[in-house]
This record gives sequence, C-alpha cells and structure tokens, in this order.
Amino acid sequence: MKHLKSINKKAKLMDQTTDSAELDEVVAMQTVVGCTGVTDPGWEVDPFGGLGSLCQPMESDLYGCADACWWPAQVPDTMNSHPNWGAGVAKVDQDWRKLDGIFPEDDK
Amino acid sequence: MKITNPRNKRGVGLGLAAALGVSALLAGCSSLEPSTTALPSSTHEYLLTVTRPNHLQVIDMQTDKVVRRCDIPGSFGGQIALSPDNRIAYLLSNGMENLYGLNIETCDLVFSAYQSSNDIRVKTFVSLAVSTDGKELYTVQNPVKLLTDEYRVMSPVLAVFNTADGKDAKPVRSFPVDRRITTIAAAANGEVFLGGGDLQAINPKTGKIRMVSALQNEDRPNWLTPDAFAMFNLGEQANEYILPYVTAEFTDDTMNFETASWWWGMNRVDLATGKNERMEFAPFEFIIFNLVADPNDKNTVYGAFNTLSKHDVKNKKVLGVKDLDHTYYNINISGDGKRLYIGGTSSDISIHDPDSLDKIGSIQLSGDMSTSDLRVAKLTQ
Repeated sequence: MKHLKSINKKAKLMDQTTDSAELDEVVAMQTVVGCTGVTDPGWEVDPFGGLGSLCQPMESDLYGCADACWWPAQVPDTMNSHPNWGAGVAKVDQDWRKLDGIFPEDDK
Repeated sequence: MKITNPRNKRGVGLGLAAALGVSALLAGCSSLEPSTTALPSSTHEYLLTVTRPNHLQVIDMQTDKVVRRCDIPGSFGGQIALSPDNRIAYLLSNGMENLYGLNIETCDLVFSAYQSSNDIRVKTFVSLAVSTDGKELYTVQNPVKLLTDEYRVMSPVLAVFNTADGKDAKPVRSFPVDRRITTIAAAANGEVFLGGGDLQAINPKTGKIRMVSALQNEDRPNWLTPDAFAMFNLGEQANEYILPYVTAEFTDDTMNFETASWWWGMNRVDLATGKNERMEFAPFEFIIFNLVADPNDKNTVYGAFNTLSKHDVKNKKVLGVKDLDHTYYNINISGDGKRLYIGGTSSDISIHDPDSLDKIGSIQLSGDMSTSDLRVAKLTQ
C-alpha cells in the first residue's frame, strides 16, 4: 500500500481513517473464491499502447478469459458461478451467438 | 477432420494408434482413427490437450490425427501432468478444483481427488506436477473458507498426493507456500519448483523452501522489477521448466521508461539437475505466451502468441517471426525438433516448420482448447 497514492477525496479520507497496522492485515486474495488470479486493465490496449498484441479475434480468447477467470468483469465466471455458461458451445468461433449475457436471477 | 501435413501421406507409425483403438473400444471410449499397421518397437509420440466441453484429446504425432478422445468428469479444465511412463495423464478439472488421472491408452479413470470440502473451496491455479518416480502428485491449493458473511482467505499450501491411493485420494502432506504460484515442476533431485512472483523450490518431504531466482523481490540497480508470467505446463521435450518474464533496463537511476530497453527474460530449470539459468534473451517487441526449446539444441527456443518466433538465446537474436492465423496460447515441439505444434484458444492446432516457421499443417479438434496445456506423451512399447 505504500506505493499507492490517494488521488481523490474518498481515497484521502480512507488514508486518514486507516493506520498502517490495519493495512498490514489486508491479505491479497489470489483467488476470490477461486477467481481474479490476476489484475489486468482489460481488453482496451496492449502493452505497447496499441491493439496488435491483443488476442485476435475475440472469439479465440473468450473462453480463455472465462475459464481462468482472467477478466471476470467482462465475461461470466465459468470457474465458479457460471460453469455451464458455455454449455452447447464447443467452438466459440462457430456458435458465439449462442453465448448469452448473465443476468441476476429472481429469488424463488 | 482437415489434415494438410504432407507427413500424413506416408501412412506409417499408426501401429500404436491401432493398439490404442482396440483398447479404447474395449474400454468404451471413442477411438476416432484406428489403424491396421504393425506395432512400432520404438517410442511413439502423442500430443495431448483438452477441449470443450471436457475431453482429453490424444493425437498421434506421426499422422497428426486424433486417435482417442477421453471424457473428463466435471466441467472444463485443461491442465495436464504426465506419469513418468507417460501413460497416465493427470488432469486439473471442474473449475480448477478436482484432479483426475486417465490412462491415455484406455481412457480408464485411475486416480481422482476432490480438493474442496464442505465450507472450504479450494482452487489450484494451474499448479500440477508429478514426481519423477511417479509416486506423488503435487498441487498448490488456494483455499477460501466460505462463511455466512465473509470469505476468509487461507494460506496456500503445496499438497502432496500419493498416486497409488487411486480414487478419492486425500493429501498425505501439505506445506505453506507463497501466494500467486501458477506453474510448478518436479525435478529429479526431488524438489518441486514453484513459479510465481519469484521462482522458488520446495522440498516436498520437509516443506523447506529455497529462493531459486528472485523476481518480484529482486533489487537490481537500473532494472525494472521483472514481471513473470506462466500459465501453461510444458517443457517435457527438453526436460526443463521455463518461467518467462518481462523487464526493462534503464539508462540511469531516473528510471525513464521512454529510454529504457525492454527485454524478454526467462528462468530455465534443468529438471535433471535442478540447476537454474536466468537470462534476458529477446527485445520486448511482441507478446510471447509460452516458450519451448528445441530438445536437440536448447540454445534455440520458440515462442507463440499472435506470432511464432524463433530465438538464439545466447546471442540474444530473434531469428524469425511469423504471423499466426489467430491468437494461440501454447506451443510444443516434436522430439526430433522438426515440427512445432501451436495450440490453445480455439479448436485448431497449427503445425509449423521450425526452420522457415511456415505453417505446414493443422489439426482440427471437436472443441476449443481455451487455456488447456499442450503436452507430448512418449509411449514406449
């Protein structure tokens, strides 16, 4: 945490209310119930600031992001909460239209 | 199945495929390309990978045809570690939780272990290895206790299973290890190498850990802290473990990113001796997901992602770069060093000539490989 700098009011407020001893108790979760093994910014740009080194096409990378919980914010988490998201779609490049979004389910 | 490799026209080396076909039929799993030629007396190579929904694909590397497709229990998972005789493929499946051992000649399930239990969910982030004597299976377990109002993160451990325990095996030992460990590898000296923020090695009998190569904990003046990345198990053809990383060499202590020289580097462990070498070997100008060495010339390594690249390690020269049809995560090589196999992501394995890097064939599979390993099993009759 010592390498992070607060840049907005809320973050500065948190700085004031949290002492270093409490921060040391914070444990980075390698797996948030299995997920989020890494923290990447997303699909927007590659390490060189361009697009050429992003995965191409998206269909080749879709399950790679979901199965390893790589970018769980953008794709369903097939490792934990939605293991059957890809059921019936063995090849994404052929059947990507069958892959639906994930929506909250009503309590029954 | 579309096969364009001219080697297919030779029609040789199908013997073991025939044997596998017969045994598979007896075992009730699918034999896709049975053959009638005689059994070979020498070693025969098979490429292994996992495709959706959850199949272990066994591919004859002389014909580049799928000879076997074994069902794996549970939801998709694709990490593979092999027994010393290469006949048992240990698989991490079901959302990186369960372990299964399948006989690749018969598809028989010979080993299983369920790492999660009751309120503790255990994930293994691709960490899977077999001891060189085949008696022990190692995973790094990342447990989380699921309480009513919180998830309590527990310490990661190296878990040791006895492969002889068969189905529903339980860990016989476990030792605390660092967080962020992904790929692991067992060496002939008994150590298990742990690839994470740093490269470490653990004695799986005592739990004692030694630092092999500091990366996130390195303090090298005028160099950026290396960022290691390893998500795929490979290296069996050269009997080594490679942990690639990216770093930068600054011109001075102002650490100006604009004028820095960016490098691909790697730690490579000789699994016969446990000796590690570390070097920067190529400019960071394109992405490499995985590296594989020519088993007959370890100074030559190949990398794959959106491009296939060939590298002279000692002289830090890029010998060639070739665009690929799409992104591939993974790469492996035949034992004679004459064919490169590039897989992962979609449902086709791309075959390339190691000299020209030209595409010389492809293998179409029944489903996407996603993040699966691409491993070579050598079966000796």
